[in-house]
Amino acid sequence: MFPSERVQRVLSTALQNGGELAELYLENSQNVTLTLDDGRLETATQGNDSGGGVRIFYGDTAVYAYTDDLSEASLIEAARAAASAARGTNASPIRLNLTRSTSTIDFPIRRPFVEMSLADKASLLHQMDAAARAYSSYIAQVAASYHQVRRQVWVYNSEGLWTEDERHMLEFRTHVTAQRGSVRQTMGGGLGGQSGLELLDYQSPVEMAQETATSAVVMLDARPAPAGEMMVVINNGRGGVLFHEACGHCLEADYINRGTSPFADFLGQKIGPDFLTAFDDSTLPGRRGSYRFDDEGTPSQQTVLIEQGVLREFMWDLTEARRKGRTSTGNGRRQSFRHMPMPRMTNTYIAAGLHEPEEIIRSVKKGLYAKRLGGGQVQIGRGDYVFAVAEGYLIENGQLTAPVRGATLVGNGLETLRQMDMIGADVALDPGEGMCGKGQLARVSVGQPTVRVPRLTVGGTDQEWAAG
Amino acid sequence: MDYLQLAYDVVAQARLAGVEAEAFIGVSHTTHIQVARGQVEKLSDAGIKGLGVRVLKGGQMGYAYTSDFSSESLANTVADALALAAVATPDAHRMLPEPQDIPAVELEIYDPAIVAKPLAEKIVFAQELEAAALAADQRVALTDRTSYGDGAVQIYLVNSKGFAGNYEKSFAHCYLRAVAKDQAERAWAHGGHGSTVATDLDAARIGTEVGQIAARLLGGRALPTQEASVVFSPVAAADFLSVLARALTAEAMHRNRSFLQGKMGQAIASDRVTLLDNGRLRRGLASQPFDDEGVPTSATRLINEGVLQAVLYDTYTAHKDSTHCTGNARRPFHYRPPWVASSNFYLQPGSQTPAALIAEVRRGLYVVDAVSSGSSNPTTGDYSVAARGFWIEDGQLAYPVNEVTLALPLETLLQNITAVGQDLEFRGRSIGSPTVRVDGVVIGGQG
Repeated sequence: MFPSERVQRVLSTALQNGGELAELYLENSQNVTLTLDDGRLETATQGNDSGGGVRIFYGDTAVYAYTDDLSEASLIEAARAAASAARGTNASPIRLNLTRSTSTIDFPIRRPFVEMSLADKASLLHQMDAAARAYSSYIAQVAASYHQVRRQVWVYNSEGLWTEDERHMLEFRTHVTAQRGSVRQTMGGGLGGQSGLELLDYQSPVEMAQETATSAVVMLDARPAPAGEMMVVINNGRGGVLFHEACGHCLEADYINRGTSPFADFLGQKIGPDFLTAFDDSTLPGRRGSYRFDDEGTPSQQTVLIEQGVLREFMWDLTEARRKGRTSTGNGRRQSFRHMPMPRMTNTYIAAGLHEPEEIIRSVKKGLYAKRLGGGQVQIGRGDYVFAVAEGYLIENGQLTAPVRGATLVGNGLETLRQMDMIGADVALDPGEGMCGKGQLARVSVGQPTVRVPRLTVGGTDQEWAAG
Repeated sequence: MDYLQLAYDVVAQARLAGVEAEAFIGVSHTTHIQVARGQVEKLSDAGIKGLGVRVLKGGQMGYAYTSDFSSESLANTVADALALAAVATPDAHRMLPEPQDIPAVELEIYDPAIVAKPLAEKIVFAQELEAAALAADQRVALTDRTSYGDGAVQIYLVNSKGFAGNYEKSFAHCYLRAVAKDQAERAWAHGGHGSTVATDLDAARIGTEVGQIAARLLGGRALPTQEASVVFSPVAAADFLSVLARALTAEAMHRNRSFLQGKMGQAIASDRVTLLDNGRLRRGLASQPFDDEGVPTSATRLINEGVLQAVLYDTYTAHKDSTHCTGNARRPFHYRPPWVASSNFYLQPGSQTPAALIAEVRRGLYVVDAVSSGSSNPTTGDYSVAARGFWIEDGQLAYPVNEVTLALPLETLLQNITAVGQDLEFRGRSIGSPTVRVDGVVIGGQG
């Protein structure tokens, strides 16, 4: 996109006061968002977001300056701003020999977004609304949204790196409120992926809206969640948010290098059962966390995080990898040119085990089945995590019984892995709606088979059930 | 560049297509510094700008934005907004506000000292923050995400009804996490502060406090599941207030998304509770002279001594209810059209000191911080969080408590508030609270 002489001038300016490595990052994002609420297509938004940033590494410091103006003058100004804060010894002029890296993987887009009119996209949202409302007269409110992004990314650095990537993301979301008398329940649903409109050939946002409405209505009969410690079975697919929160964040290299992660000292050691293997894989076609190159120009890869219970690898970006004199695992991601990269998960999942999911539920005398998990968070210092159960059921004598509302799961990452005693054969990734927040937003996928954890703290209001 | 003139020009251009139009321009400059072990780890510096144009034709709304201010790009942005409006459902209540007089009250939201602060001083601030945490207790081993950031933003807003206004706002904020270790385990704490005025931030005080809490949380014990009194620190109370803020907009009321729907005029909380939203709070992080549609901001008493008496309005929802707009249209920046949301939202402080409020508890939990799991829900009124803190015995903080869960309906929580402290604090958020005591909370622990 950018002539190499210009890249050379920007990067030379960046290194004028010294520094070991300079990087130029350019981005162009085109977004369309349609939002339906209360039966009306309310907001239709479109926009272009483009900009660039110059980063300089010296010692353990990274300095970054960015601008939303892609003219050479403006990028040179950003390079000067960054250089003014940089200190280093290597202030010699650079001679760049940029070579464009080619990716071994591809994510072909078969039906570009322009093949469907705005009116037809809006019509899909009206159909989602109608399907959810048609499911039951208890549906009191429906919101639905359509979001498309085409994001192009260029990365150059003073070692001659040159990569280009283009990511198409399609997303549908819905939020349904069911009401019967004074009882209310809400349920969120979504689907999407790295895809053009061909996603609609094998996934149906209308069906998704109806399923979401079904869950919301089921939950109208929910009783208050039990409180206390109990056995918990977590559904496959988006249940993978368990691993994402419980362990994934603690395996990100910034927390490892700083010593804040409780997993930092366990590399090469057994931290889980033999039947536990987990991956982070940014090469998977169609997934939200996939790319050809990350936002620092490192190729995507499959990383084995845990192999048969042994902790094998952390997730690295360039900054953290340089500190340890090693290579990045291609996990350097940024929300946009306004942000510095940091180590982030991509598509993270637990691999299949041996048990049938029905067998796992049958094995539980008394416990909680988390069918649909809501959002979660981890507190890195101790590795304690918390997440919401959006749709949960009691398990009594191996059977799913009453739905429960307002349940929260609280646990510790290392402890949960140690305890995990059954893993299902039904591995699946989520429907493609995951968004991870770590100061910056990143699209991710999570996944897992059905898993059983013998003792987790469930935060509810019913003190009697667990004790009884 | 004359951005106000640019906003006028964009509105004029859209008017040619026979629509009502609004142009919003934000121009900002920000600096962010993160330190670790006394060294600058990350430093970023940026100037950015953006324009959002909203068009309305027969109640159909379209919105488009760009950061490219070339005339070609602006023409495309206007054309995009017009095309988008065509797919929207007509809604007679959608309109732009008529211009109103903006009260000339000094909000103290712009501090030239923030803008003029040399980079070296900002770095020193972040270094002092870290040093204070490390010095607070021998057991504090390290800090994480220790940062200082500041900046200034200029807002320009013009609409085709004749409104034109602009203002400037500054902000400075800091944050850190401290990890304490002893032979057996580790504990952590975090905290920060934010202000529109440079002198409000005190690195030594914030760093010391966070370091001390991390060390005091070492040796945390588990609790058995039980019902007890819970004292929420200002930071922890802000968590449930944030759920309440979402339930108290007119939009939530109109759309079956508020557990308080239909309860206007009723006693929904204990008489200790008076809840305010004030877009004109002096030095408030969310204070601004006019809202993001051009309506003057105002103070709204949402709950008065336990009685629900008002909700928050933007122009659209106010027209729908044929009532006065409270000036609560907000947008984070140019890339989103405005919607109704809280501004500076806080519980009115009472008269007791936090210590006096704890002293009245025989057995209970003092919550240092609460983390929402996603179970907290303004539509259903469910509230469920993971909390950490100290066990209270005979009015004294006895020992630290590891992660437990707190769960109860928000309506019960509000009714069970038995004391509100005098220590109103906004910790880097626009949602503030004093210390609050709630009786009859189920604490989910072990067994």
